[in-house]
Amino acid sequence: MIASVPVQEIIAALLMGLGLIFLVGSMIGMLRLPDFYSRVHASGNSETLGTLLVFLGLAVYNGVSITSAKLLIIMMFVFIGNPIGSHILTKAAYKTGHPVWTKNRLPNEVLPDAEIKGGEADADLHS
Amino acid sequence: MRIFFLVLMGVLLATIGLMLQRVFQGPTIFDRMNGLGVITADTILLIVLFGFLDNQPGMYVDLAMAYAMMGCLGSVVLAKYLGGKKL
Amino acid sequence: MESVRDKRVVGSPAVHLLSMAVLMFGFWMLLSGNTEPKFLTYGVLTSIIAAWVSYPLLLIPNGDDTKRYFVFGVNPVKLLAYFVWLLWQLVLANVDVIRATVRPEIEIDPCVVRFRYQTDNPMAKVVLANSITLTPGTVTMNVTEDGVYEVHALTVGAAEGLRGGDMQKKVAWLYGESYDFELLEGKD
Repeated sequence: MIASVPVQEIIAALLMGLGLIFLVGSMIGMLRLPDFYSRVHASGNSETLGTLLVFLGLAVYNGVSITSAKLLIIMMFVFIGNPIGSHILTKAAYKTGHPVWTKNRLPNEVLPDAEIKGGEADADLHS
Repeated sequence: MRIFFLVLMGVLLATIGLMLQRVFQGPTIFDRMNGLGVITADTILLIVLFGFLDNQPGMYVDLAMAYAMMGCLGSVVLAKYLGGKKL
Repeated sequence: MESVRDKRVVGSPAVHLLSMAVLMFGFWMLLSGNTEPKFLTYGVLTSIIAAWVSYPLLLIPNGDDTKRYFVFGVNPVKLLAYFVWLLWQLVLANVDVIRATVRPEIEIDPCVVRFRYQTDNPMAKVVLANSITLTPGTVTMNVTEDGVYEVHALTVGAAEGLRGGDMQKKVAWLYGESYDFELLEGKD
């Protein structure tokens, strides 16, 4: 049964399965983590590796062709662009005074404060 | 392999739905932006996967490439705008 | 085009222009996928003109404007080695962060790490900040003009790895800079 499936497809499926695990992990982190800065870790980074692995799997599945090369180029874009996006977002939040959640403060204490800060960032748009 | 692609697309669609919830609910404006970034990254994957299901990946890969460039640029520009003069 | 004769440029402008043109021609070939002589000629001409026009924009001055560094002026072999190392780090750190996140009880301890890392080449700064952000568990929040980095670390392990200065050493090696790293203990 297994011998009838080409090796190429098995490798591709393995890579994509690994990518799927990281994508689901990033989704769980995005929903569970307490504040904005920690959610950036989940979204920006696990997402990058998951996307990278799925693209790699697709390139292996497709074989050597110009489409695979384009897939690798998209991979490069994601690899460079994703960290830039999350960095500039964190920088904007940091500069507008969004508080950093730490362990000894409960999330319930911080959240209303964070809401006010978010409001300030909103107000900044119009100044 | 088609079934595998369909499962992957289902997971991505579920992620996009949950991220939409984050976009609408998320306490601060930055959470909303973050959710949008994740949706962008997932959409790129979704486009490519749909191309493979449609048996003409060449065309969809070009679309995905354009989308990847725009997504990176868009989030940077919006974050610059949010940061205002302090950034 | 005075930037070609600019004495402050590090390295040889001819090599820079040639490598840029070759890179751009490769990208052209990838997008078109067409090998007719007409399109090849168009591609060569376009990539040479684009390299010539955009070259002055890709020269970045250092702090006191005594030297100008080319953005892609880095040893490709070293870059490849760094890339492989970075990918490996990426996988390791990612497994760490996902393990901490998926547990029934979330095991995170966010803190802000501050350190100073001075380099002459501005691209080293960019590469370091980008690599730190790419590695899960650490996100660069701010980089100041005089090289103070403020990094948000998610777990204890990520913060310890950053304080060890492993990645800083690698970037210094990549750009042939001296290793100038100092940990700052300040307000949280």
